[in-house]
Amino acid sequence: MRPIREPVQLNWGRLTTIATVLVAVGVAGTGVGLAGGQPQRVWLTWLVDLLFFMGIAQAGVACSAAFYLTQARWAGSVHYRLAESFWRFLPLSLVLFFGVYVGRDYIFPWITHPVANKVKAQWLNAPFLFTRDFLALAFMTLLSWRFVGISRTEEAVIWHHQPDTIEMPPKPIRRLAPVVAISYCIVYTLFAYDLISSLSPQWHSTLFGWWYFATVFWSCVCAMSFTAVRMRAALPVVNMFSRGQVLHDLGKMIFAFSVFWMYLTFAQYIVIWYGDIPTETFFLVGRCWHHPWMLLTWMAPVLIWVTPFSVLMGVKPKKTPKILGTVALLGMIGVWDLNYVLIVPSLSPDKLPLGWIELSITAGFLGAFLFCAVPGLKQLAAVAVSDVDGDE
Amino acid sequence: MSGDIELVGVFATDDQCAHAVEKLHHAPIRGFHTFSPFPSEKIAEAVDEVREWGRSPVRKFVLCGGITGAISGLVLTVGTSWEWNLNTGGRPIASIAPYIVIIFEMMILFGVLGAVSSFFFKSGLPSFEPSSGYRTRFGADRFGLVVRVADGDVAKIETLMREAGAEEVVREAA
Repeated sequence: MRPIREPVQLNWGRLTTIATVLVAVGVAGTGVGLAGGQPQRVWLTWLVDLLFFMGIAQAGVACSAAFYLTQARWAGSVHYRLAESFWRFLPLSLVLFFGVYVGRDYIFPWITHPVANKVKAQWLNAPFLFTRDFLALAFMTLLSWRFVGISRTEEAVIWHHQPDTIEMPPKPIRRLAPVVAISYCIVYTLFAYDLISSLSPQWHSTLFGWWYFATVFWSCVCAMSFTAVRMRAALPVVNMFSRGQVLHDLGKMIFAFSVFWMYLTFAQYIVIWYGDIPTETFFLVGRCWHHPWMLLTWMAPVLIWVTPFSVLMGVKPKKTPKILGTVALLGMIGVWDLNYVLIVPSLSPDKLPLGWIELSITAGFLGAFLFCAVPGLKQLAAVAVSDVDGDE
Repeated sequence: MSGDIELVGVFATDDQCAHAVEKLHHAPIRGFHTFSPFPSEKIAEAVDEVREWGRSPVRKFVLCGGITGAISGLVLTVGTSWEWNLNTGGRPIASIAPYIVIIFEMMILFGVLGAVSSFFFKSGLPSFEPSSGYRTRFGADRFGLVVRVADGDVAKIETLMREAGAEEVVREAA
């Protein structure tokens, strides 16, 4: 029998205060940006941040589903609670999605200049796009809510703590986990095409959707690792994150999915390079080789692949909290940068609009994300301490 | 060492064999080898602990193989392109992007060849003569531990092996 989980006394009030201040900064930045005649910068940044933070929250649930599918029981309940700790941002992202609808004329060029291709025009029309994307998002939110609920049942928790048995996870989870994983891949492929690729409606890449949901998944692994490192420092000395093996496993996930990301990136790049068709190459050439986007574009693979690959190759760096935390934080910055580089140059090919509007809105989203994550983090903290007690 | 004797211990389980290896460690005796009808983790861990082998030397051969392969792949692709000077679709004669695939594959190939060949080399394989002390039942249902000891230590080591659970201990001239 596991010990009863008492809430761990951490300074949650401080985190909530920081989150509230960040939200206020974001609201002010959005308001001033709109009042100051910069609606395109505001709504493009809104889209970048929505996709980034919503992606982490959703990929966390998908990651938990992946843990069940692979019967991962290497850290009791901790890695499940860690992956699920951000999911409460999903209901809020349903609300924030209306911001994309409000700013649609500034985001989607095909609204003011419809595409000539008739088949494409049928797909790219505002009512259809917003209806399908909203329904997809609502479906994923409900599915995630249900999944997380089942994952926290006593039956599931007992299964988490029996790593030596060959028992399958409880039946409801066995049924729902594949649905979550497959739906995640389909819905984020849809978002990749609708909300990113369609901003350059002439461009197409068959791998883009797959590549995008793999990127989002990796950003969640980074968020989990960063959270683990922070939790390790904040919790009492003996907790699950103080075990080198847990950090080692998270580091291995960062390393492995970083390599997978680079593999997909290169697979996409080489096909476009070989084909050398203008409708495919323009998307890359403008970003990779032209000022002012070149630096930010190349920063993404450096932070997402070069850094984790070179730094986390050995066992020791993976087990060293400062190194793992830094790589994870840089990885998240890299994915945000990647989202920004994928979205903004489609509408601003010659200018780099990166200033206080973008920073304040991102701060606002970060605040909202932290605010939503606090209940999940409280549960995680309790489990991280009680699980280690139960093991000793 | 002249005058040495080989003691061949026969064990019913790998637990007992591993236990005997640990006892040898405390004796301390290093000159021994084991036989097992299947790859036993328990024996492998006990032997590894006693001999303090640490990291496998094979990794160095893999690294050297990988570097050699990558350089070979680069030389092969760029060299042949320059030699034949073929212009494909107006791209540079030596275009690195597609060559990365060949360089990568050559790196993997040479790395794997380095791993396999060094594994055989460092393991002393192939070996066509059975090691001393081998019994056919060590390939069927029993575990063996062969220790080379000086005359004076025979009784002590024999007792040690029996305490660990040896079914029988046979003395052979080394």
